[in-house]
Amino acid sequence: MKSFKEVYSLLRRKGRKQYGLLWGCCFFSVLLITAYVCMMRSPTILDVLPEGGDSRKQVMMIFVLAVVGCAVFTLYAAGLFFRYKSREMGIFLALGAKRSQLKNRLMGELVAVSLSACATGALLGAPLALGLWQIFRLCVVDTAEMPLRFDPAAYGFALAFSVFVIAALLLMGRRFVGKTNILDIVQASRKSEPIHAVPRWYGWGGILLVVLGAVLGYSVPSFCILTLHWYPPEGLTAIFYLPVLVGLYMLLLHTVVNGWGRKRHHYKNIIATSMMKFQGRQTVNNMLVMTLLIAGAYFASFYTPMLGVGAIMSYDARPVDYAYFYRNDQNAPGEEEIRQLAETYEVNITSYMEAPMIRLAVDGIEHMETEGKLGTTWQAVYREQLQSDLFLSESGYRTLTGEEIDLEPGQIAAIMDAEGGGQGVFGGDAGLVTNTFTGEKRRVNSDTKLGHDVLFGRYVCDDEDFASLSAGLPDAWRETMVFFNVEDCAGSYDFAKALFNRIVDGSGPEVAVLDAWDPVTREREIAEKGSYWYDGQTLRYDQRNSSEFRLYWQYMPQFRVLDKADFVKTTAVFIMLFVFIAIVCFAAVFVIAYTRCMTIALNNRQVYDDLDKLGASQAYLYASVKNQICRVFTVPAITGTGVIYAFYAMIMYANDGRLSLSELAGMGACLLLILAISLLMYAVYRLTLKQVCRALNI
Amino acid sequence: MLKVNDLHKTYQVGKTTYEVLKGVSLEIEKGQFVAVMGPSGSGKTTLLNCISCYIPTDAGSICLGGRELAALNEEELAAVRNRELGFVFQDFLLLDGLTVRDNILLPAIIGGSVSRETEQRAEQLCQVFGIEHIREKFPAEISGGEKQRTAVARALINQPLLILADEPTGNLDSKSSRAVIDSFCQAREQMEATIFMVTHDSFAASFCDRVIILRDGQVWRTLERGDRERLAFQDLLLDSVREMGRE
Repeated sequence: MKSFKEVYSLLRRKGRKQYGLLWGCCFFSVLLITAYVCMMRSPTILDVLPEGGDSRKQVMMIFVLAVVGCAVFTLYAAGLFFRYKSREMGIFLALGAKRSQLKNRLMGELVAVSLSACATGALLGAPLALGLWQIFRLCVVDTAEMPLRFDPAAYGFALAFSVFVIAALLLMGRRFVGKTNILDIVQASRKSEPIHAVPRWYGWGGILLVVLGAVLGYSVPSFCILTLHWYPPEGLTAIFYLPVLVGLYMLLLHTVVNGWGRKRHHYKNIIATSMMKFQGRQTVNNMLVMTLLIAGAYFASFYTPMLGVGAIMSYDARPVDYAYFYRNDQNAPGEEEIRQLAETYEVNITSYMEAPMIRLAVDGIEHMETEGKLGTTWQAVYREQLQSDLFLSESGYRTLTGEEIDLEPGQIAAIMDAEGGGQGVFGGDAGLVTNTFTGEKRRVNSDTKLGHDVLFGRYVCDDEDFASLSAGLPDAWRETMVFFNVEDCAGSYDFAKALFNRIVDGSGPEVAVLDAWDPVTREREIAEKGSYWYDGQTLRYDQRNSSEFRLYWQYMPQFRVLDKADFVKTTAVFIMLFVFIAIVCFAAVFVIAYTRCMTIALNNRQVYDDLDKLGASQAYLYASVKNQICRVFTVPAITGTGVIYAFYAMIMYANDGRLSLSELAGMGACLLLILAISLLMYAVYRLTLKQVCRALNI
Repeated sequence: MLKVNDLHKTYQVGKTTYEVLKGVSLEIEKGQFVAVMGPSGSGKTTLLNCISCYIPTDAGSICLGGRELAALNEEELAAVRNRELGFVFQDFLLLDGLTVRDNILLPAIIGGSVSRETEQRAEQLCQVFGIEHIREKFPAEISGGEKQRTAVARALINQPLLILADEPTGNLDSKSSRAVIDSFCQAREQMEATIFMVTHDSFAASFCDRVIILRDGQVWRTLERGDRERLAFQDLLLDSVREMGRE
C-alpha cells in the first residue's frame, strides 16, 4: 500500500458495518418520510380527509412526530459514525496528516453515503407506500376509490428532508474535522455522557407535568373558544402541550438514573444501572423519541378499533333493520315498490312503518366571527331562525317506534341518542319554531328528551301543532321517514344494495348535499354574504360507494346489513391511512431501539470483557445485558402506551362528559390491540437481545 | 536538537485557571535518550503535548532542529509532526484495519513519500525490533508488547529528529516493557534516534541518559546517568522520588 487513498479505502472496507449503519439509517429515515408524505399528500387520501378536520390534523401531527423521530435517529447514527471515525482521524492527525487532506476524504465519503442513501430511500418511498397499499387492497378491502394516486409535490417534502439529512451530515463532518485539539479527537471515543444527579421528585413531577400538559393542551382551545370567544391560532394552543414533553423527559430521566421503587437490592442491578447512567443523555433522548413515536403510532392505531367497534355496536343496537328518509319532492320508493323489490330478492318484510316529517326553522345562538389583530373572535347573536330541523308528530313517532308519547301543545321533545347524549352536535334546546313559508311562529318548550339512535337529532311535537305548523309547506320541506324490518336481515344484502341504488337513482341533484347543508342557513348566508359554502360541496351519485358519499350524504339510508357489510369499504381509506402511519411509526421505534441497544453493546464491550476477567459468570453478564436492553424497550413502551391510552380515554370522556358503551367497548378493543403490538415488540426485543449477546460473546 | 525555554501553559476550567507549566526549560542533544518523571499533575504530559504541537503554549519557546514551533502555521505543524517527530502512545494508537507492516508505513503514506527505500526500511525495522514474523498480522492478533514495538517502528519510519513517547510501558507487563525499552535503546544505538519519554516507571527511566523530574509544573531536579550502572541509576531515581515525596 503506497497511497493515503488506498489506506482510506482499506479502512472503509474494514469499517463497512459502521458505514452500513449510517447508510441504513439515512436510507430508512428518507424511505419512511417519503412513503409517509406520498401517502399523506396523495389525492386519494386528501379527497376523504376533510380540510381543517381533526383527521387531517392528526395525520399532520403524527407526520411532524415522524419527521422529528427520523431526524433524531439519523443525527444520532451520524454521531455514532463520527465517534467511530474519531480514533482513525485522531491517529492520522497525530501522525502529521493535514486537516484539508482528511476533510476532502471525509466529505467525499459523506456525500457518497448520504446521497446514495437518500436517493435510494426517496426512490423506494413511493413504491413502498404503493406496495403496502396494494397489500391492504389485496388482503383487506378494495373499493373503486382506492387506487392510490400520487401528487408529484409530495416529492418536494422528500427532497427537503433529504437535503436536511445531507446538509446535517456535511455540517457535522465539517465540525468534526475542524476540532482544533487533536487530543479531543483521540480521546473522543473514550468519553461517556454522564447525567448529573437527578432529584427523585423528577418522577412524580414528570407524571404531574404530563397530566397537566395533556389537560391544558386539550382544554385550552375549548376554554379560549367558549369563555374568551376567541379562536386561538393552532400554533399557540399547541404550546400548552409542551409540559407533556418536559414531563416525559423528567420521567424518563428519573427512570434511567434513579429507577423506581425502594433500593433494597441496590447491588443487584448495579452494573446495568451504572452503565445506563453513563450513557444517560443519549439513552434518555432516544427513549423520549421512542415514547413519542409509540404514542403517535398507538394514536393512529386506535382509530380502527374505536371506529369499528363503535360502528358495529351501533348497527346492532339499531331498533330497526331498514331506515331511510326522503324529501317528498323526490322520486323515492314507496311501500308497494319496496314490497315488490323485496319479493324479487325473496326477502320477507315483517313490518313496515312510515311517518311524515316537516322541516321548520329553529332558533339558537350563532357565533358571529370577526377577524381582528389577535385572530378570529366571535360574539353570540341570537337568531330566531338559526337553522332548520326535522319534526315528527307524536303519532308519527308512535307509529315508527311503538312508544307512547303525549305532548301538550307548545311542547316539543328532542330526540337524543339511545343513551341520551347529543354527541356534541345536537343540543335539542329549541325555544322558537317557524314555518318559513307562512311565517307562523310558535314558542315551544323543549325540556322533554327522548332517546333513539335512528331518529337522533329530530324533534317530536304535538299532533295539532304539527298540523298547523305544516300548513303551506311545499314538498321540498316535507319529508317521509320509513322504517321496516325483514325476516332474515343478514341474508338480505342484495336487496339492501338494490334498494340503496333505487333511492340514489330517484334522488335529484338538489339533494346531492352534505349532511351539514341546511336550507335556512343557506338562505341567510346568501342574503348576508352572497354565497353559501356548502352549495359548492355537492356529492356525485356516480360515486355512491365512496367513503365520502356513504359518510356524508344527508339522505344516506341506514340499512343494517348494508352498513355492516360495507363498513370496512366505507372507511377503508381512513383505516388504511392510519394503519400505514402506525406501521411507519412502529418501524421507526424498532429501528431506534435496535440501534440504541447495539450501541450500548459496542460501547460497553470493554466493560463486559473486564467483568468476565473479574470472574462474572455468563448468567450474570446475560442478566446485566438483559436488564439494559429490557429498559430501552419497556420504559418507552409502557410510558408511551400509558400516556396515549389515558389521553384517548380523556378525549372520549371530554367529548360529551361520559364514556358510552360503544366507547368503552372500543377502549377494550384498543387494549387487545396493545396486547398484540406488545407481543410483536417483545419479539423484536428478544431478537435484539440475541444480537447484542452475540456481539458481546455472551 | 530540542530546546525548550521558559515554557508556560495554563488551563481554564470554568472560572478557575490552572497553571500547569511554570517556566520549564530543557535541552536535548541528538542521540540522547531523555525521560521526564514526576507525580500526577506535575505537567509531564502537558509538556509532551506542547512539544508534540498538539496544544498551543501560552509563553516561552520550543525550538526543534533550529525551528521555532510557535511561528509555524497549522499546515507546517502537520508537516513537522509527520517528518520531524515520531510518536509512541501509551495505548499504542495503531489502526485496527491495517497490518503491522502498513501501520509502520503509515507516517510515510500520510506524507506521500512511500518509496522502495521506505519499504526496505520498514522491513529493516521489523527485523531490528523482532516483529518480522507478525508483519502481515493485524493489531488484534498480536500482544501488547508487539503492538508497542510496532508503534516504535512506526515512529522511526520517517527518520524523525525526535521520538516522543508518552508512558510507552504504562499498559504493558514487565517482560513486554523490557522489550519496548530495549527497542528504544536499539533505535538510539543503531539509528542514532533521539528519544524523549514521559514515564512513571523508574525501571524504564533507568535506561535513559538523563531524567528530568518535574514537580508542580517546574523542573525540580535533573539527574544524569553518566557512567553509573543501570541499577545504581534506578536507585538514585528512587531516592530522588522518595525525597520529593517527603518534602
